[in-house]
Amino acid sequence: MLRYTVSRLLQAVLVILVMSLLLFMLIGLMPGDPVENMLEGNPSLTPDTMAQMRALYGLDQPVYVRYGHWLYSALHGDLGYSSVYFRPVLEVLGPAIVQTAKLLVATEIISIPLAMLLGALAARRPGGWTDSLISLFAFASISLPGFWTSLILIIVFSVKLGWLPASGTPLMGDASLSEQIVHMILPVTVLTFFHVGPLVRYVRASMIETLNSDFVRTARAKGLSESAVIIRHALRNALIPMVTVLALGFGSLFSGALVVETIFGMLGMGKIIYDAVSNIDFNLALVGLLLATIVTLLSSLLADLAYAWLDPRIVLK
Amino acid sequence: MTELLTLDRISVDIPLDGGFLKPKTILQAVNDVSLTVSKGETLALVGESGSGKTTLGYVVAGLRKQTAGTVTFGSSQRNADGSPPVQVIFQDPFSALDPRMIVGEIVAEPLRLKGVSAKERLARAAEVLGQVGLPPEAAGRYPHQFSGGQRQRIAIARALIAEPEMIVAGEPLSALDVSIQSQVLNLLDDIKQQHGISYLFISHDLGVVRHLADRVAVLYLGRLMEVASRDDLFATPSHPYTQALLAAVPRIGKGRRKKEQILRGEMPSPLAPPSGCVFHTRCPRAQAICRETRPQLLPAPGRPTQLSACHFKD
Amino acid sequence: MSTATLSNVSTLTRDNSVWRKRWERFRHNKLAMVSLVFILLLASACAMAGPIEYLMGLDANATSLLRRFRPPSAQHWLGTDDLGRDVLLRLLYGGQVSIAVGLLATFITAVIGIAIGVIAGYVGGRFDNILMRMTDCIIALPLIPVLIVLGAVDLTKIGLSQDSASSPTVVFLRIVIIIALVDWTTIARIARAGTITVRNVDYVRAATVSGARARYNVLVHILPNIATPLIVAMTLSVGRIILFESTLSFLGFGIVPPTPTWGNMLTNAQQLIISAPMLAVYPGFLIFTTVMAVNFVGDGVRSAFDPRAETGSGSH
Repeated sequence: MLRYTVSRLLQAVLVILVMSLLLFMLIGLMPGDPVENMLEGNPSLTPDTMAQMRALYGLDQPVYVRYGHWLYSALHGDLGYSSVYFRPVLEVLGPAIVQTAKLLVATEIISIPLAMLLGALAARRPGGWTDSLISLFAFASISLPGFWTSLILIIVFSVKLGWLPASGTPLMGDASLSEQIVHMILPVTVLTFFHVGPLVRYVRASMIETLNSDFVRTARAKGLSESAVIIRHALRNALIPMVTVLALGFGSLFSGALVVETIFGMLGMGKIIYDAVSNIDFNLALVGLLLATIVTLLSSLLADLAYAWLDPRIVLK
Repeated sequence: MTELLTLDRISVDIPLDGGFLKPKTILQAVNDVSLTVSKGETLALVGESGSGKTTLGYVVAGLRKQTAGTVTFGSSQRNADGSPPVQVIFQDPFSALDPRMIVGEIVAEPLRLKGVSAKERLARAAEVLGQVGLPPEAAGRYPHQFSGGQRQRIAIARALIAEPEMIVAGEPLSALDVSIQSQVLNLLDDIKQQHGISYLFISHDLGVVRHLADRVAVLYLGRLMEVASRDDLFATPSHPYTQALLAAVPRIGKGRRKKEQILRGEMPSPLAPPSGCVFHTRCPRAQAICRETRPQLLPAPGRPTQLSACHFKD
Repeated sequence: MSTATLSNVSTLTRDNSVWRKRWERFRHNKLAMVSLVFILLLASACAMAGPIEYLMGLDANATSLLRRFRPPSAQHWLGTDDLGRDVLLRLLYGGQVSIAVGLLATFITAVIGIAIGVIAGYVGGRFDNILMRMTDCIIALPLIPVLIVLGAVDLTKIGLSQDSASSPTVVFLRIVIIIALVDWTTIARIARAGTITVRNVDYVRAATVSGARARYNVLVHILPNIATPLIVAMTLSVGRIILFESTLSFLGFGIVPPTPTWGNMLTNAQQLIISAPMLAVYPGFLIFTTVMAVNFVGDGVRSAFDPRAETGSGSH
């Protein structure tokens, strides 16, 4: 187990390094030039000073040299400045991480029980009308464009009915908790609807499989009530692999969060990355993306480890 | 008789992936095996599962490369790619036929690979299907429309169409119903009589081996224990392992087995074969020398053609 | 099965019952059939956008401040937008783009994914290992942020001229390519898994013994036998790609105005949700119904091709 953990961690570090190089090169291909962006509107700008600035920042060097420099400073805690916010990128990203974490945690808290409930209901009688209805719901969930759902909800609940705010965060920084929650209702609804479909399909499939297995038949034969069978046996067995499904869904949930944050104007990681790319803020875009990638990779690593730890049948070599 | 196939000191080592941060382990599937098969002769390879008989069959068929030793075919014929005129029949008649091809295409495949024209090979396919007892109409159907026994006949037809000099048959009966087994066994026997094809017949069913084989080679943990003519081997088995195998065949009315012939314990892991004679951990005659020295394959006392690798052979 | 039933079949006529039975099963799936018809109707309507424009005497790109925000009428069935353009026509033109991106990107995805997956599965070893790690990474990535960065790449920095970088064809191809770049892994994994299974099946071994090389085995035995899961995966990927395209275009990193797409029509509508909320309803509704229909078709194909329904279909 220890050897497995260590080897997976080493692999993850390697993957993160490779990803950082790829992202570094990719971000370098965004339009514009960092020096030009920095000195925009400066009248004393001459081609000479531009070249000097480039040399100063090492921008005239080949990409792998620049990556080496970047990696060196990054490992020493210097991730550079945001050219839009004029602050170190970590200072910009800190509150954004909190914002996104709130959004994602709220979504998961609602999605997981909802998925278990709907999945269990559907699995009770596969092919029945409850199952058909729930499966229709799951199809809608994977087919709906999140940005459109957001717009429709804003039109209905904010514009027409005026019940809920159209922005995801209160304008005042020191809003009360209830006010914060009210602002979160629409974004979390959209994200939950987007997230829950694949989960429901997964829970349903694994519940049907478990309900057909011999040990469940035994449980039924010894006279356990149907709800006891479902809750104590089927659901519990469906839970373990769900850890993996949740972790694998993290990347797509984060993608959903980017869209939702952008539409509801919430300054989370997704919105920050979107703005950074739109405004050609090289450092911020790079670090934001890299952080998102690392978190996704780590979540899938944790899932694998948790899976191995939870399921006694898995023996790791 | 001329030697059709000569196996000279064949070894097959299979490296097993140890995974990240773990050393690779090597499985000695076949170790230093020398055998010959004459033209028209049937050599049976027998042994428990894990004895390396299938791996050895794959080497002969060219499906696996030996790590050491040479395979020589005493034949001038070659396939288009230079491979020898060998065909195979597999154990499972369901996975042996491509479910997306019609039977005519399946049977004619070896000719297709030789570049024979479509018209000619379909005519040949119908002919060969007749030889194995299937109507020519079968050519237009898909494999799933046939029973296990019929599928095995189709597989035999595919092997026959290329007019091979040798067929490697890997337990071709064991997946079939008992009632079908004897039909297919007779078919194999007929083919042998009519076409003079050599078989390398891999089996753990000694009853079938006794019916079909001319000579028998006994493998244990990838090593050759004994090789002899069928009559010698069944009448006077020399190696204690052969004796145990023969004693394990259920017979009616022969009374209880002699105690010393019952195999003790499990077969050791082929990843860590025992020292000296690999059979010593289960052998009723094992002495100190068996743990230290690997016995040579030498004639049994008084029977120059019966070779046995045992320090205390009969 | 007896010899009597066999002899009813005329010699060497290929028995196409497998595909006939699949079509039978698909046809009995009402949802999938309705979806298929819907997609075909929608696609033909989109393809007819040019003739419709001509017949109704309209111009999809002509702006007019006098015709802004018109309600639905005989001439403008769905009204006009903020620049006075006919909404229905723009939806049909947008549909052309969305459907074309979905099909073309799926095609490229399939070609890349099948090639890489089959080679990795057949060759195995180190190549396979590297490939699997790569797909693991891409699957774990938050795709939309990565697509945004890919969409923001300045093509002049990789050697394209300013003119060609902003031409509509290049913009279209660019979104097709970047989606294919991140989406091939799903199909590659399926192709690889199938290849590994089929490669070690006895009928491939039998062909190898008769002198078959890798190319023959892949083309004759492996591809036909892994086609079913690949077809299902490709159908589902059309829907996923249409969603990717519309999301990217909505965020401004996909296809940019004046070329209409369902995604970028919504970008504009977002600013007008108070004055003209219906402009935000139509394009999204079309994305939703199209993707939903494609997914239903994919599900129908999946169950029609289900091997469990196929085994024993011919034995009597």
